Amino acid sequence: MRKFLLILVLAAGVPLMAANPGFGHREYRLTVMGEYSYNNTWGHHGNLDIQALMPFNPYFEMEAKAQLSTASVYSLALQFRPKFTMPVGELFIETDVYVRAIARNQMTDYTACLGLGYRMDYVSVNLGLFTRVMSDWQRSWYTDETFVVEPFNLLYRLEVFCRPQNNPWNLSFLFSNVDDYQMERMWQPLFGIGAYVDVADHWRINLSAQCKPTGMFHLDATFYGATFRAGFTYLF
Amino acid sequence: MKKHLFYIAITCGLMACSEDSTLDMAGMFSPNGETVNTRFEQSMAYNDSVGEIHLNMGSDTYTIYVCSDSHITRKTHKNLDYFIDQYNAAVEPKIALHLGDLIDAQNNYPCADSVLNVGGRSINDTLFITPGNHDIYFKQWQIYRSYFKTSCYWFDTNNGSKKLDLYICLDSAEGSLGTKQMKWLKDLLEAKSKEGYRRIIVMTHTHLWKLDGSQGHTSNMALEETYEITSLLGKYHVECVWSGHQHARQSVHFKGVHYIVLNATKDEEQGQSYMTVQVGEDLTYQFHPYPSH
Repeated sequence: MRKFLLILVLAAGVPLMAANPGFGHREYRLTVMGEYSYNNTWGHHGNLDIQALMPFNPYFEMEAKAQLSTASVYSLALQFRPKFTMPVGELFIETDVYVRAIARNQMTDYTACLGLGYRMDYVSVNLGLFTRVMSDWQRSWYTDETFVVEPFNLLYRLEVFCRPQNNPWNLSFLFSNVDDYQMERMWQPLFGIGAYVDVADHWRINLSAQCKPTGMFHLDATFYGATFRAGFTYLF
Repeated sequence: MKKHLFYIAITCGLMACSEDSTLDMAGMFSPNGETVNTRFEQSMAYNDSVGEIHLNMGSDTYTIYVCSDSHITRKTHKNLDYFIDQYNAAVEPKIALHLGDLIDAQNNYPCADSVLNVGGRSINDTLFITPGNHDIYFKQWQIYRSYFKTSCYWFDTNNGSKKLDLYICLDSAEGSLGTKQMKWLKDLLEAKSKEGYRRIIVMTHTHLWKLDGSQGHTSNMALEETYEITSLLGKYHVECVWSGHQHARQSVHFKGVHYIVLNATKDEEQGQSYMTVQVGEDLTYQFHPYPSH
């Protein structure tokens, strides 16, 4: 029990550190990362991530993300984020579209979310709703139902930082049901830890880990998967 | 604020420690006794010891009685009594399936004796069950096992001369099939899909989709597992999947597979029902509301 809790806390992680909403930052960023990942369904696999953050002006930014996986899964994410500076922190609207082509299973998972977020130096909170469409690749005139819609899911994300946002290094802990490429069902949380260090004027090193248990709300949780990610960001 | 938190903590503690607790808080953060891989191994050992189950229905057509989520307690199990009575009264060739969450809380297993007579269960019985999360949490797998022996198995039906239908019962009580059961399912479908069955039917507790707000309180499998299972079932032309867990009926088709989620059989809930399926060349579904007690 204690061992599992320890592993959960230490190994947990969601990797969003590398491409934070631009609180306190106005520069464009390009991030490249490599991942080792394991889950009970896909086994051991590796991923390559490329992410670009584009803060067009102080009130709007966009992120584009792509992931190639050796598990034959290919993901794209587009995030549009209007933001409003408040006396303390920043209010933002999260509008995301994720597309995940699961070639191994001949289907595509589309998700779109609309949420509201508030970000301060040490805490970031998002709450919203998302819709999912799972679509089968096998189509013919004789197949009538080739997709399934999950219209309403709750999206939540709470991240706690050890240092202020403009610090040259930071460490964060995260509890959420979304990460860069997937929106899990509301009862399937992800736990994360992330860190970055600015090593030069334009260069940042990112490290993060993520843990995905299953059955937490069956009241019988077990380990399902984990991801470890390392990479660098170029800040323009 | 501190006072409120204190009261909440005390309430949760008392609920978790009460004799008939339904809140296994420790289970939210750690495995609750044997994990699905261990349960699978123990189930396979039992399955191997008793051999395969082939039910001679004596006919090409027969009826299946299916219920789910009875959540029986020491105080009440009227709906499940009714379901068993209906099943026992039927004269046609028949099978009964329970899709999990037979009991509601810890210390409720003795109640199952009276309604299912499970203590004397033998391989020739035609009442089958798959475990739900309520059946195994609070480290109750060994008790479940003492009654039902196995959580993962298959059986088939025949008319005396020809194979009819294959039924596969999966253990999804902790929201995952686990690595070993998933491999077993793949191998089983690969082998059995070549044996000329009329149809393949899968039953399990946890539903695969979160189709609307009715599933507010019930969790699913991980996304990756949902992709894999639905793909696998579609590939091997499984005709339908019957599950429970969410206490609200749903029906959806995906990749050629018909997924049906049943209402609960739990007494306190309104508008609940069980399902009968006339199995022949086609499947004919009927849903029967429980009488008000």
